[in-house]
Amino acid sequence: MLEDTAVNGAAARMRNGVKIYGEGTATVRALDGISAEFASGRFTAIMGPSGSGKSTLLHTLAGLDNLTEGTVHIGDTELGSLKDRELTILRREKVGFIFQAYNLIPTLNAEENITLPLSIAGNEPDEAWFNEVVTAVGLEDRLDHRPAELSGGEQQRVAAARALVTRPDIVFADEPSGNLDSKAEAELLAFMRRAVDEFSQTIVMVTHDPIAASYADRIVFLDDGDTVDEMVDPTVDSILEKMKHLGE
Amino acid sequence: MLRAALRGVIANKVRLVLTALAIVIGVAFVAASFIFTDTINARFETLITDISAGVDVYVRPIPPETGNDLVEFGSIPDEILAQVQAVPGVRVAEGAVAGYAQFVGADGDPVGGLGPPTLGFSWQTADELRAMTIAPDNGRAPTGPGEVVSDVATAERAEFGLGDTVTILTLGPPEQFEVVGLANFGSEDNLAGATTAAFELEEARRLFDLEGSYIEISVAAQEGVDAETLATDIDAATGGEFDVKTTEAANADQLSEIGEALGFLNTALLAFAAVAVFVGAFIIANTFRIIVAQRTRELALLRAIGATGGQVTRLVVIEALVVAVIASSIGVLAGIALALLLAALMNAIGFNLPEGPLTIAPRTVIIAMTVGVVVTVVAALLPARKAAKIPPVAAMHEELARTGRKPLRRRAAAGAVVSAGGVGLLLFGLFGSVANPLLLVGIGALVTFLGISILAPLAARPVASTLGWPLPLLFNTTGLLAKENTARQPRRTASTASALMIGVALVVFVAIFAASIKSTIKESIFDNFRADLNASSTNFQIGISPTFAEELAALDEFDTVSSLVFDTASLEEGGTDIIVVDPLLAEEVVNLDPSPGAFAALASADGVVVSSAELEDNGWVVGDTIVMGFPKEPETQMEILGSFGNDDFGQYILNRDFYNTVYDNPFDSLVLATVAPGVDISEARVAADTIAEPYANVQIQNKDELVADLEAQIDTLLQLIFALLFLAIIIAILGITNTLALSIIERTREIGLLRAVGMTRRQTRRMVRWEGVIIALFGAVMGTGIGLFLGWAVVLALADEGLGSFTIPWGQIAVLVVASGVAGVVASIYPAWTASRMNVLDAIAYE
Ligand SMILES: Nc1ncnc2c1ncn2[C@@H]1O[C@H](COP(=O)(O)OP(=O)(O)O)[C@@H](O)[C@H]1O
Ligand SMILES: [Mg+2]
Repeated sequence: MLEDTAVNGAAARMRNGVKIYGEGTATVRALDGISAEFASGRFTAIMGPSGSGKSTLLHTLAGLDNLTEGTVHIGDTELGSLKDRELTILRREKVGFIFQAYNLIPTLNAEENITLPLSIAGNEPDEAWFNEVVTAVGLEDRLDHRPAELSGGEQQRVAAARALVTRPDIVFADEPSGNLDSKAEAELLAFMRRAVDEFSQTIVMVTHDPIAASYADRIVFLDDGDTVDEMVDPTVDSILEKMKHLGE
Repeated sequence: MLRAALRGVIANKVRLVLTALAIVIGVAFVAASFIFTDTINARFETLITDISAGVDVYVRPIPPETGNDLVEFGSIPDEILAQVQAVPGVRVAEGAVAGYAQFVGADGDPVGGLGPPTLGFSWQTADELRAMTIAPDNGRAPTGPGEVVSDVATAERAEFGLGDTVTILTLGPPEQFEVVGLANFGSEDNLAGATTAAFELEEARRLFDLEGSYIEISVAAQEGVDAETLATDIDAATGGEFDVKTTEAANADQLSEIGEALGFLNTALLAFAAVAVFVGAFIIANTFRIIVAQRTRELALLRAIGATGGQVTRLVVIEALVVAVIASSIGVLAGIALALLLAALMNAIGFNLPEGPLTIAPRTVIIAMTVGVVVTVVAALLPARKAAKIPPVAAMHEELARTGRKPLRRRAAAGAVVSAGGVGLLLFGLFGSVANPLLLVGIGALVTFLGISILAPLAARPVASTLGWPLPLLFNTTGLLAKENTARQPRRTASTASALMIGVALVVFVAIFAASIKSTIKESIFDNFRADLNASSTNFQIGISPTFAEELAALDEFDTVSSLVFDTASLEEGGTDIIVVDPLLAEEVVNLDPSPGAFAALASADGVVVSSAELEDNGWVVGDTIVMGFPKEPETQMEILGSFGNDDFGQYILNRDFYNTVYDNPFDSLVLATVAPGVDISEARVAADTIAEPYANVQIQNKDELVADLEAQIDTLLQLIFALLFLAIIIAILGITNTLALSIIERTREIGLLRAVGMTRRQTRRMVRWEGVIIALFGAVMGTGIGLFLGWAVVLALADEGLGSFTIPWGQIAVLVVASGVAGVVASIYPAWTASRMNVLDAIAYE
């Protein structure tokens, strides 16, 4: 069992998580009794080969999908017992998302996309915090542009700003820089790092890119639906080393 | 290719089912209108052939070219029968008379009369010549005064039986008769819903005022004598003075008359079929456009692996064909059901159709199938052609799939040209003098719809934004998204709304038309009538017995009692409506606006008073002599004695005394009475009602009641039309459902994302619902605009016919617009539900 609650409390945790897809002979055990905790104010990366269950872990942690067995907590809230409406409100208030692509609503401009979770809830954005986030992602002069008028990197930064604007307990990102060139990737990851350092944001990010993972405080390695290793304060080199190791 | 097309159909089955429904409804109407008309014809043919089986030749008066032919039978003098009987080859010949006879039910109300006719005739003694037969237990033939035989169905309906005494209305005062027999017509217990009363010949002649004459002689030939030859011989023997026809020819005439009488039904059904098919075409085109857009990648892949553009087009067209054939077949079956329903409906309102099977002619199936298939394929052709333009690279890059859109300026130009063409056709049909204005107006309206629907995408964004402006204020982001979603696909929004537009435009048009007729009626009744009370007949085939006006005039409560007759006469250029008045009293009861001295002249000389408009049109002046044709005097020199201004009822006024000499109609159309000074109008009313009591078909009304009565008649018709147009609106709602459901599927990712970042299911449903409402309102607004224009143009065009006031029923229109909004809500129930159930993870699945 991997624990990392020494510094802060756990923002999210899964116990004995099992996720089975399909029925009969065609079943896939995407999560195989996995337990993991994600500490508050920390940047955690999840790595592993394709099909190892990274996305599934993220989705079940974030309340986008439910587990076949086991429990998930966001803060003190156990997700399994929540109804759809309660889950939705929890996502809206306590969780932020950055997906690999298709993060934005095409009919809304950048500002409206950023404040989307707030306006859906019928809340006004906190002006100062909104400005701070927008400045941090460097989108001040792009706010009235629609997604189609933004570059891929800008779109992902809008998504990142949206993920932070509600001051969520935890932000989940699934290969957020997977579609970006290296410059845009660096900008996005630098912003995520700053969010953790300056705003004490908790971030859990799936990636298979060692460079992206090196921005994290800690890496959890997955294979066949369970954790197989972990690493603290990684560098690109140490990650590559570890991956070589795991691959053997 | 065929297999790929079939796969496509199966993969898109839900949306295609919705599309197919539009075709099914259209085809069903087409099929039903043919099946219904054919069936009626076939059944009447059987009935008529059946009841005339024993007759070989009919001798009838030559029909007058003018006059109310339900009343004017003309007649054959008594001695002609002997001449006919003397013709070699005649085995038996017998004369008959007929006229108006209406039973009065036990409750004092007349039986029938509002639909099928109320017939009376003489009982023919030769069994083979008579249409009626009395079954062994059902009594006997009438043999003298005071006896009547009725058809079995009427006896059941009016609840009388053998031996009962019934009251029957004829020309004179009501009389009592003993029911001595109950008869059938061939295998039917009634004659197509008519009520029939048969009397002994002399009794019938007395009742119908036909002493010493017949209106028909039926002849049976001797064995081996050819009917055709016999008819020629009889014609020669009677000096060519009569209409002598073989049964076959006479029946054919009668059938074509029935066909004409029911022709309006066929036309109405086909008109609704056209609306349904037209609206359906929009939905079909839209569905295929969306299907093609959604399958861009797949189609591009086909292109990439070597399919030609033509093959891709064919793929889509074959899909359309498969859907069309299936839907049209179902449509034909639905048409059969609809025809049965119509027949049941006809029976329910008293037009009893003879029993028999439905007639489903091969041409019905061929036409209905062809309409369904051709419309579907043509509607799918445009999207199919677009599919061919998808570049193969679109398989790799979705963005490239957005093929070049027609530039807006070209669309605007095309739409403007088509709309202008449609409006031009419409106005030409209305105001130009053309042979078939109705068809031209119909086509003009359809082309206008087409033109507006081409223009609609240009308006979609601003209109949707305008209609949707309160939404963001009311519902925040949900509202904003709903508004934006309708504006983002202007073509789709517009063509979806266009289907509803057509239905709404037609409803608005009909509502305006009806409202204008109503207010015209009201104005004209208050302008035209000076009398306090008005007596009219509840039986449209028969007027008011002349004794009624005499009795009314004898009362002290009334000052002036004067009657009017409305009839027709012939002029060189055709028939015209005539008004028959008592010139000395007419001014007291009705405002015809005669020139000074016109009525005085009419009272003292035989002549005619002509409307000022008619004088001007023909370049006549008072004092000229014109030729008019009347039933008894085909060519009469008539001096124009004066003119009159109010031609609401007709263009020519005759003196009643003169009329009686040239027409055979003793009935009054209206009896008008002014209450004597100092007499309370309600008191006078009671007195008049007492007089009217025995005249079961007479109803007395004051002006307000008259207006209300006429309005109610219009409302009934209006409801029927609305009910049918409602179908077009249902099709349009299906179209909205279809479009929304498809765009929900297209927006899977987006909706999933919204759900992921915290949109609740309820909010998701609300978003889709408001989208549906905006689309529906867009259609309603366009439809209202077009409907207002159509209504205005048609009312203006009919100003000559006396449709004076253009009235907009704002209340009804408001209800319609609100109802359209509600329809939008209903249409979005299913798509909203799917959207709210959408799997959040589908949004982020990324391959
Ligand atoms: N919706 C699904 N239905 C069936 N199998 C799935 C589904 N989603 C994921 N899987 C399977 O679960 C396993 C883990 O998938 P995933 O979590 O997406 O892996 P990763 O993100 O690490 O590539 C894989 O074998 C994948 O095929
Ligand atoms: Mg993954």
